Amino acid sequence: MTDVVKAMRGFIADIGPNVALSLESCVHCGQCAEACQFYVQTGDPRYTPIHKVELFKQTYHREMGPFSFAYKFFGFAPALTAETLTNWQDLVYDSCNMCGRCSLICPMGIDIADLVEQTRHGMYEAGLAPADFLGAIAEKEHGTGSPFGLTSEKFRDLLHEIGTAHNVVMHVDEPAAEIVPTVSSIDVKTYPGSMAAIAKILNHIGLSWSFRTDGFDADNVSLTAGDRAGQSAITESIVKAAISCGAKILVMPECGHSFTEMRWEAANAYGKDLPFRVLQITELVAENIESGKIRVNKAPHAATYHDACQLSRRGGATEAPRIILHALGVDLHELEDAGDANWCCGGGGGVALIKRAQPLRDAAFAIKKKQIEATATPIVYTSCSGCRQTLDHGGKAASWTTTVGSLMELVADNLAS
Amino acid sequence: MTLLAFARGPAMQVATLVLIVGMFWRLSGILLLRRRVAHAAARNPFAVRLLGGAVTIVTRTIPRRTFWPRVGAGVALSYVFHIGLFIVLFGGAPHILVIYELFGVSWPDLPKGVVVVASGITLAALILLLVRRVTHPVLKMLSTPDDYISWVIVFLPVATGILLSGETIAGYGTLLALHILSIEALMIWLPFGKLMHVTLVFAGRFMLGHNFSRKGAAT
Amino acid sequence: MTAGDENLGEMLARRGFGRRGLLKFAFAMTASLALPPALAAAMAENLAAAKRQSVIWLSFQECTGCLETLLRTDSPTIAGLIFDFISLDYQEALMAASGSAAELTLRQAVAANKGKFLLAIDGSVPVADGGVYSLTGGKSNVSMLEEIAPDAAAILAIGTCAAYGGIPKAYPNPTGAVGVEDVITDKPIVNIPGCPPIPEVLSGVLVYFVSFGRLPDLDERKRPLAYFGTTIHDQCYRRPYYDQGKFAKSFDDEGARQGWCLFELGCKGPTTHNACASLKWNDGTSFPIESGHGCLGCSEPDFWDQEGGFYTSLAGGAGPGWRESGIAAAVGIAGGAAAAFAARRKTPEAQE
Repeated sequence: MTDVVKAMRGFIADIGPNVALSLESCVHCGQCAEACQFYVQTGDPRYTPIHKVELFKQTYHREMGPFSFAYKFFGFAPALTAETLTNWQDLVYDSCNMCGRCSLICPMGIDIADLVEQTRHGMYEAGLAPADFLGAIAEKEHGTGSPFGLTSEKFRDLLHEIGTAHNVVMHVDEPAAEIVPTVSSIDVKTYPGSMAAIAKILNHIGLSWSFRTDGFDADNVSLTAGDRAGQSAITESIVKAAISCGAKILVMPECGHSFTEMRWEAANAYGKDLPFRVLQITELVAENIESGKIRVNKAPHAATYHDACQLSRRGGATEAPRIILHALGVDLHELEDAGDANWCCGGGGGVALIKRAQPLRDAAFAIKKKQIEATATPIVYTSCSGCRQTLDHGGKAASWTTTVGSLMELVADNLAS
Repeated sequence: MTLLAFARGPAMQVATLVLIVGMFWRLSGILLLRRRVAHAAARNPFAVRLLGGAVTIVTRTIPRRTFWPRVGAGVALSYVFHIGLFIVLFGGAPHILVIYELFGVSWPDLPKGVVVVASGITLAALILLLVRRVTHPVLKMLSTPDDYISWVIVFLPVATGILLSGETIAGYGTLLALHILSIEALMIWLPFGKLMHVTLVFAGRFMLGHNFSRKGAAT
Repeated sequence: MTAGDENLGEMLARRGFGRRGLLKFAFAMTASLALPPALAAAMAENLAAAKRQSVIWLSFQECTGCLETLLRTDSPTIAGLIFDFISLDYQEALMAASGSAAELTLRQAVAANKGKFLLAIDGSVPVADGGVYSLTGGKSNVSMLEEIAPDAAAILAIGTCAAYGGIPKAYPNPTGAVGVEDVITDKPIVNIPGCPPIPEVLSGVLVYFVSFGRLPDLDERKRPLAYFGTTIHDQCYRRPYYDQGKFAKSFDDEGARQGWCLFELGCKGPTTHNACASLKWNDGTSFPIESGHGCLGCSEPDFWDQEGGFYTSLAGGAGPGWRESGIAAAVGIAGGAAAAFAARRKTPEAQE
């Protein structure tokens, strides 16, 4: 049932000068549409990024804007209705990865991707997060902290299993550790090799480290669902876990949004700057390669690299993977628009979890496929399991010969002894 | 009171005051909302962030090369209009005179022929922009009455200015009155519609540049 | 005094101007009045046969500048002679009589020429406080005007004061000065504005009236189209400089010395209708712009009150001052702040 009042309240709770400025500034130039994979591939103007936040914008004008009294009194902006909110669901969820290409092009400096994230708060509170998969997972996350309902005990067991299977020493629930890594639920489900790789790398560095089963899953599907409370709960449990073992560095896994959340948002939930550094695993590895703490063997081969939007464009960690690839002696054939302007794989922002969004994901994947094939390399590395899974799924449907590889697994396989 | 005396007198008083009140109201209404403090450690120090904000104001004038194939033509047309208008406004002798009489600063004007050509190109670009807006699927869908009102309100000063400069169709006094009145209409509308982008473009780009510089992210 | 029996042709012949001279004059006049040259012969004939035209001249709230200008024609041109030909049956500044003798003169002149005299007015008509600010022999201008106007054939409002109120009407207009047309609405009026007006304009109107028995074509402000149909800007010899963008920036700068356009020094030529740029002053000697000063717009209504004064260009207006603008900014900030603080109350204290 769509709760219109909750939607309205959810929208306005987020509005400060930043958001207000963004919502006031749009001049309807239409450039954001040309940056968005979903508009570009389908030609459907409804996928124009700023249009996705139209209800958020109208609510702002009616409730929070400098002339809100006039907007309300003269009806310059319509009030929310259950019908319009429902009509907007697929614009806010299915067709937006929050990848930020639109934010990169907007001549007025509007961070549209951020506005979509804010819009999801109101949509969630109105009961309009897509029921299938996404909503269910977010609910599971409430209970256990893991979108797949993985309990601490089960996670501990799983870690030991992985350690055994991959012949790597696992540290779990140590009372004190300088480095605390986290995982993405996609790694847990599909790519345990990535977790093993990270453990191997941390062993190689030599500092004390430990997984914490009281705060481990950084996937934070609540974030992409728009569940503010759930988002904070996950974040706080991870922060608490890191603090309780005196961590100096919190390491984020091969995942996009988890990095954005812990690096840039967690401190706000905590109320002040975190007492430890937050690094994505590629940043940690690059740092330690440059300081000499990590030594790798050369593994020369031709490859290309897909940037995860949240790590490069949104997160500021564009250079790290390239430092790593260079150190490994990889013959890197960069994609067109590689780095900060890259195209999203189409699976980010929770879109991968929405069944009915498959056609849209396929349309976005078509861009990546073309780009990757243009490099004529047999393997594309990435450092985000979400991207990895999306590229894998898309590749399978397209009967691809290109392999999708994890950058951390490549590093782990080539650590010098 | 003649139409010209009205335009230069009470109408100018009202239009200027509405412009000032409206602009300050809208900007302070935005900037005084409850601020969210960002607690996460910044990647860059304050000075770098300020510089990032300032630089972004400049760099966002040109889209990134990767976007050129898809937005290049539209952006170019928009710049033809804006630059043409800039040439007329800041190169035309009567406008420099207005600024001199208001603020005491002036600079050499451009030859009248150059300004005439620029004004014709500006008008043509403005008309093409409207055609684009009503035919392009994205723009058609996005456009609101604000977009069309703003277009008319910009069109009228350009058109009346051209007529005045050519001293054609009506007497000088009437044309001058209409030109000034059309500018007063623009002044009154500016704070409330999309024309406010004359200020918001600086604020928005700066804010994004600052926030992204904080993260070390691409601006 | 009544109009004599001698006609104008006979009077001119007495003074040494024959039919040929009159015809030459008529050609010049038709050109000046923008009439077709074919009418010149008819004009000459009519003028020759014209009887003395009675003119009663009332001076109201004026500075006497208009009268002085009209009298200061140097050489005895035919225009000047036509002034001689009109029977100026009443004019306070010029006539010998004064006091009650003058009042008697006026009454007799009106009675003798009822329905046929031209009523010339200079000076504005003050109407505030019962018209007490300008009295002649205890009678207010407005009551004199209302008493005498009904018997006139037509009214000539001479000078900007009589036409539109002029300098007494300037803000705050303490005497309630208005033009004649605001008091008398049921008589033909010709406005001959200017501060002062060009003498040849008045003589042209008189010639036309005497020749054709009616007033010349007027514009919507009741000014003779022949003289007020174009602006100073349209006839100004400095127009090429305007078109080329060569402007004097200050008095006595290089541009001023070169005789460049005076638009930036406040010239109101483009919006001022008059014949100064073509007929000029003092029998075609010069006019203000030729002497280096911009046109004041003195033949237009309210020219004393125009926005920004004489030296603000037509492009500039005044607008509110810095103080008012500062107050407006403060009002804007207050309004925006009020809206923002009302909105703040809707957002929770702590946000994630």
